[in-house]
Amino acid sequence: MNEFKSKQILHFAVKAGEIMLQSGAETYRVEDTISRILKSKDFNIAETFVVPTCIIVTIDNPNIEPITHLKRIKNRSTRLDKISLVNDLSRKYVDGLISTEEALLELDCINSTKSYSAPMIISATAVSAGFFTLMFGGRLIDFFPSLLIGFLLAVVNIWFTSRDVISYLIYFSSGFIIGASVICISWFAPSINIDSVVIGSIMPLVPGVAFTNSIRDMIGDEIISGLSRGVEALFIAVSIAAGVGIAMNIFSSIGGVSL
Amino acid sequence: MIIGVISAFIATIGFSIIFHVPKEELIFCGSIGALGWLVYLLCIDFGSSPIVANFIASLIVSQGSSSLAKIRKIPVTILLIPGIIPVVPGAATYQTMHSLLLGDYMEAASYASYTFQVAAVIAGAIALTTMLPRILGTVNK
Repeated sequence: MNEFKSKQILHFAVKAGEIMLQSGAETYRVEDTISRILKSKDFNIAETFVVPTCIIVTIDNPNIEPITHLKRIKNRSTRLDKISLVNDLSRKYVDGLISTEEALLELDCINSTKSYSAPMIISATAVSAGFFTLMFGGRLIDFFPSLLIGFLLAVVNIWFTSRDVISYLIYFSSGFIIGASVICISWFAPSINIDSVVIGSIMPLVPGVAFTNSIRDMIGDEIISGLSRGVEALFIAVSIAAGVGIAMNIFSSIGGVSL
Repeated sequence: MIIGVISAFIATIGFSIIFHVPKEELIFCGSIGALGWLVYLLCIDFGSSPIVANFIASLIVSQGSSSLAKIRKIPVTILLIPGIIPVVPGAATYQTMHSLLLGDYMEAASYASYTFQVAAVIAGAIALTTMLPRILGTVNK
């Protein structure tokens, strides 16, 4: 295997890992995928180190110089569809069904796949906020305020994300919006149950990805990643809670509603 | 209870769309979420403590999503992340914050400890089901 070929394979492996990590895959899964891709090509040494913000891979063979590739990961978001697609692709590649060139092309395709449109995301957030309220024992009268707040939440989220605002500020503002709107709504509709509306509305925001991945990384013996994702989940939860709390405090003192 | 389970189903699907789960898997994500919530409600009905109910529900969700993922040949994450959401202690987090806001620190501490217990129990359940094939020696290398 010549050096060009090796570099190409390494490039493919790292790029596949990058897309997975940016889409919210667990660290151990990324490491596993990269190792599988490299092992299928018979390198003597193929070492992988992945943390949520960085990928480092080294390969070596007797007839080439050792090559190390370091990739800094930015712009993390949650795209579970991409994880699934890259997973399928890497399986096909490891089984030798496609060449490296084809695989690289397909990766570009995967990276630019469009998923659900913005209106779809907005309505999904609204609907899930509404039904989470019902799930936690809210009545029908609590359903509609949650629907409205969910809608607002998604609009603000998408707008902030398009402006590259840091995620903790987005979570804080989302919390603030929930707290502010629930109190405003209760001025006009005093019979709503503030607790169930707030609980239902914060559910679409809960750090499910960070939390679940933290556990799964810890199990996969990725201590650094597990810890950092755990802290991320905690920070997200605190940001949301702080936003809701401050807003409810301010707005209830304006309107004289007792909490 | 029926309303709760149906709501869990729709809410989980909504949550899956936010996280861009592929269209074909949405129905499975919703079912896993609804199943978890059903088990939780049943456990509460049989008089178990919320912590135990959460543990059993997470066990079912975790085992269900890993089995289903194997059948559907997709990464287990896709089913597990949305599926676990109904049992994640969102309500308790809010109650903790709310009690802090009212200056009721005893209440806040009790809700906070409840939140951490539930989180720990979910972690334990996921760990257990992930390791089960290895413990039973049925893992195929």
